[in-house]
Amino acid sequence: MPVWQRIYEEINDPDFVLICVAEDVGGEAVAGPIFDAANPTYIQVIDEDHLVSSAFNFVNVPSAAWIDESGRIVRIDEGTYSMIHTFGEGEEAIAFGNDVYEPALKDWIAKGGDSAHVQTAKTVSSHIRQHSSDQQKADAAFRLGNLFRLHGQNDKADEYWQMARDLNPDSVNFIRQNLTLTEEGSAGEQFRTMMGEYVSSGKDYYRPLDIENV
Amino acid sequence: MAEAFMAYPELRSPFEPKAINADSSATILYQGRTIKLSSRGDGDGLLIDPIDLQSINGFEIKPEGVCYEDLCVPLDDSLMITQAGQKWFSLTALAELLGQPFVVDEEAGVWSFAEIPAKRENMMVNAMAPDLELTDRQGKVVRMADLKGKKALIVTWSSW
Repeated sequence: MPVWQRIYEEINDPDFVLICVAEDVGGEAVAGPIFDAANPTYIQVIDEDHLVSSAFNFVNVPSAAWIDESGRIVRIDEGTYSMIHTFGEGEEAIAFGNDVYEPALKDWIAKGGDSAHVQTAKTVSSHIRQHSSDQQKADAAFRLGNLFRLHGQNDKADEYWQMARDLNPDSVNFIRQNLTLTEEGSAGEQFRTMMGEYVSSGKDYYRPLDIENV
Repeated sequence: MAEAFMAYPELRSPFEPKAINADSSATILYQGRTIKLSSRGDGDGLLIDPIDLQSINGFEIKPEGVCYEDLCVPLDDSLMITQAGQKWFSLTALAELLGQPFVVDEEAGVWSFAEIPAKRENMMVNAMAPDLELTDRQGKVVRMADLKGKKALIVTWSSW
């Protein structure tokens, strides 16, 4: 989150609104300290029910939508990184992220509709994931699981969280969120198995980034 | 065992068990809100007092049907049901007519509704931001509609 504070300060435009949304069932207990450590001046939301991912049909974090002055989305559903992150060394090193998103964002803030990174409504519409009725039902099941958790009914919470995963197997959010609340954690064997199957089946959890260097 | 990473098992079940509808007849989850109903009709589906409809999903009962903005669904016996002189509106029958997915836990009396597809059409077809209402950490309500006139970036992240 410090990276978004830096970007927000560098943009320093009163007509730019940054909303950072933590998709976290653990709520303030887990996301609050991370926000606070960044000393943020942007809008901070803790979204225990993953409503934002549901509203924009996102399936992973970090994902984002650019919304212009008229309320139109001008880019959507790309891995929202400001740099390339590398974990591990040598052949086992894993790299993810990119270093073109941040300059593209700044270009849009500066130039508005004249930015080369603004996409037409038709293009954006084609970039929004088409979620089936079952995938939308998964969002409802996830929230139901959260309600049961809040009422200490853990078997029911597990039942509906599993339903959400079954109804929307594309959601990396649901599986990682669920695994976070286990001893194994969000990046253990289950996660690696699931991601191996996910990637080998040709699915993308972000749209392919089509930003040229700026 | 696999390496634990971003593991909060203690947060899986930190709350004492309690009934969801201790003081209500049914609970509805919709658009991030938790709505408690003081009464509901008997039988299959979720039968609500028609007076509650607008506050739940914005639909109004009009002479031409049950309507939200330009969308109207004709009222029929599947939507309006009379039991012992009391009129009820079937929220689940409306959901089925609108193609709105929902999940129900009958035992607990909770209905969780996904968004109504017609309300998402402006985003899916015209790329307009969805009608979303969020509450920030300071308790301030943030509506997408209130951002007009400014550029906005809405970005998700997580602790995990």
